[in-house]
Amino acid sequence: MASSRNYDILIKLLLIGDSGVGKSCLLLRFSEDSFTPSFITTIGIDFKIRTIDLDGKRIKMQIWDTAGQERFRTITTAYYRGAMGILLVYDVTDEKSFNNIRNWFANVEQHASEGVNKLLIGNKCDWEEKRAVSTEQGKALANELGIPFIEASAKANINVEEAFVSLARQIKQRVDLASEPQPSSSGVDINNSKSSSGGGKCC
Amino acid sequence: MAFSASSSLHSSRVARPLAAIDTAPPNSSKGKLLFAKSKVYVHPTPSAKDNIPGFIALVRPPNASSDREILLAWMPESLLRGDDFRAYSKVDLHPEDGPASDVYVSLPPISSISTFAFAIPLARLYSVMLRPPSLGWWWGSILIHTRDEDVVPALFFHDAESQSTILQQKQRNKKFTPFAPDGDLFWGGDQFMKYLRRYSSVEKSTFEQRLYLINPDPDDLLSFSPPNARIEPVSDRDSLSKLVKDARWNVLERLARVTRFSRRTAQDVIGNSPPAVRAMLNVPEVRQLGDDFDSARVYLAKWAMTISEEAERNKTKIVWTDVVGDHIGSDFGVLNVDDRVERRNEVSSEEWKAFFDHSGRLCITVSEVKERIFHGGLAPDVRPEAWLFLLGLYPWDSSQLDRQVIMASKRDEYYRLKRQWWDDVERQKSDPVWKDQRNRIEKDVHRTDRNIPLFAGEDTPHPDPDSPFANIGTNVHLEQLKDMLITYNEYNTTLGYVQGMSDLLSPIYAVIQDDAVAFWAFVGFMNRMERNFLRDQSGMHRQLLALDNLVQLMEPKLYTHLEKADSTNFFFVFRMLLVWFKREFKWDDVLRLWEVLWTDYLTSQFVLFVALAILDKHKDVIMEHLEHFDEVLKYMNELSKTIDVEETLTRAEALFYRFQRTVEAIDRKNKEPLPSGGGGWSSPISAVPSNNSNGAFPDGLPDKTLPLKPDVSGRIVISDVLRELLSKEIIVVKDTIPMEDYES
Repeated sequence: MASSRNYDILIKLLLIGDSGVGKSCLLLRFSEDSFTPSFITTIGIDFKIRTIDLDGKRIKMQIWDTAGQERFRTITTAYYRGAMGILLVYDVTDEKSFNNIRNWFANVEQHASEGVNKLLIGNKCDWEEKRAVSTEQGKALANELGIPFIEASAKANINVEEAFVSLARQIKQRVDLASEPQPSSSGVDINNSKSSSGGGKCC
Repeated sequence: MAFSASSSLHSSRVARPLAAIDTAPPNSSKGKLLFAKSKVYVHPTPSAKDNIPGFIALVRPPNASSDREILLAWMPESLLRGDDFRAYSKVDLHPEDGPASDVYVSLPPISSISTFAFAIPLARLYSVMLRPPSLGWWWGSILIHTRDEDVVPALFFHDAESQSTILQQKQRNKKFTPFAPDGDLFWGGDQFMKYLRRYSSVEKSTFEQRLYLINPDPDDLLSFSPPNARIEPVSDRDSLSKLVKDARWNVLERLARVTRFSRRTAQDVIGNSPPAVRAMLNVPEVRQLGDDFDSARVYLAKWAMTISEEAERNKTKIVWTDVVGDHIGSDFGVLNVDDRVERRNEVSSEEWKAFFDHSGRLCITVSEVKERIFHGGLAPDVRPEAWLFLLGLYPWDSSQLDRQVIMASKRDEYYRLKRQWWDDVERQKSDPVWKDQRNRIEKDVHRTDRNIPLFAGEDTPHPDPDSPFANIGTNVHLEQLKDMLITYNEYNTTLGYVQGMSDLLSPIYAVIQDDAVAFWAFVGFMNRMERNFLRDQSGMHRQLLALDNLVQLMEPKLYTHLEKADSTNFFFVFRMLLVWFKREFKWDDVLRLWEVLWTDYLTSQFVLFVALAILDKHKDVIMEHLEHFDEVLKYMNELSKTIDVEETLTRAEALFYRFQRTVEAIDRKNKEPLPSGGGGWSSPISAVPSNNSNGAFPDGLPDKTLPLKPDVSGRIVISDVLRELLSKEIIVVKDTIPMEDYES
């Protein structure tokens, strides 16, 4: 049956970040194009799937969603290793969730596979009157961590597609490079900085 | 009297006048009813009360130029007006060998979303699968496949209710030929096929027994009926799983087409299908990845499950296959005992009151009360009081007066606890840990059970203008939940609030609807649930390990499969165990499940047998269709809100007894002197050193231990973690380091 598969590349992504920043909502928006304001808390783990076309290739994206609370990290870190891309999510109206990104990043460095692609997402960017983290702060942190950055809103459907697709694109390029015969396998940084300049500002 | 003007190939027809039946002129919008059978049901849900009775019928539309335009229809009784209903009933009872009568009826609707009615021209029929009644298949049924891959509900022939079928059976019995032409017992589906053959060419597939191709093309015949294909005999007992197995490839292929199709015209298909199928088609993978076989497999697994649920619906008891016997020896006749476990009615208010004497003291034993609740559950109006006993707030030997005193002092205590943090404005402003916890609680409360009317409203202005929910609004019950959880966070300072607790509190509050009382009931619940929320996750680890051992012992074949599928970390039951199936069962069923679990009647760890019961029910599907951890996880996660609570409890109880007997049998065997040749038990599973620790899981994976670990003399000994499952004592494990020290 595997030979009948209908995709060219399988990409596994992982959503992490503090509880309540909107990980599940981003995923729901991307996979089903819907939004529920009172979405339930995520317990344990789950994933959703969406297949996209990218440069004529069918990319099957399996996106894992995790519980955000510190307490469940022993469970969630088990899923870091298989991930090819990690979306670090904070809430632009919640400074604490932004400050915690460093911890999440350290966690990724510790548990994820080497060379995993990362993306910083500031969610809820439509909520200007409650904003506590500026776009510049987000950019600065992304630069410091050396990862691309985008602000998004699952509720207003801003940049959600762009966030997931840009990460998928980077991973695809990395995979393509790795599978080519040339020994070079470090084209990732260039691509990173390229796409980060594209989607910084949200609204 | 009107006669049919439409052309027909069947010259043997003789027109019969039928009094009192609308025999409209042939050129009207009415169709001619060629065949009808009553009491043919659609089963939209696994619950018998949702079954919809109707007629299966063949109707020739006016001006039809060939038999291929004849409609195969199913009409619910509720949709038939008086005249039509009489017409259908009349044709149903029309003698079998008589000609098709001249009865005209309104044309059946092509499809109706709400009623499941459908009508398909014979030209569009692809195949009919006959599933005669058999052991486990109480009702015979047919599956109709159309050339357009429309989703058509399975039709169940309730022969015992259908007058025409009863009549037929009687006549056949008189002639001592109760068997249908193919040698099986006669049933309603045979009669339908007889008429279908009259108007179309019907070819039996040689690949899939009981599959009939309707007006097949030469290509169809080639792929479904190659002349030399062998038909496997299908035994009654396993006919279902066999059918599913045999049909698998064909179904997979067809499935791919169905799902591709569903992307195109998803709404049509979804609207026209039973809820189970509708739910499946709504699964995003199926919608968006319809042509992807990986997700098709999960879809297929569900499909197979809904079919076997049909088969199981009428079994009141569980028939065991002897699995353990395979593993630990054949001299375990005792293991094959068929457990007859029966659920009872819920405890009514009158019955509950009768448990107590005039002073409000229990006048039957605690064990009797618990047994009663364990097997029947409680009526909703009994819960607010009974739950306080089950959750340890009221001692079982208390009098009414005692309870009043307890309640008064607990009420005071709650408000005192609440006031402590409420009045501490300084801390609310400055303590970052406290603020963090409060925000987390508020966020979670606003996304807990908002579909329950009690928690749905947002009509109350938020008391705190700085809250993120200030401009959304709230309601008094959400605010109560929030205050209770903040109070608990203060009350249990070593544990604090952890996600999942809001799920545990909301049903208790909704039932009791008194914040002070509900708070203490919640404290009682948390006493045993605390180990689920420990920082090092050791409590969850130990339960996953126990389930691991339990599956090894009770379902070794499933265990082997889970090993192959990299799923023996049992993470796919993590959510189930963490919040006691709160996300897996419907709201009312959660209330029932929890009160049953709170009795500790058989074991304080009955929750693991509930998990085992769900695995046991789905094991065939899992072993057959799910090959990787992500598939297993997806399948298990998506069982949410589809699980039948009473059936699961019945199964869990039977599994517990079986487990208990297995342990007893092994212990008994171990007391016997060793045979001189050595080694009492020889385990088919190779022994590894057991690591039965309480510790956190390295790499997030539970340690592997064998439930049957051979000791020095080669005997098999039941592991501690398994033996723990026989205890009725509540396991209480607490975190020891205060939260403040941890978080800062």
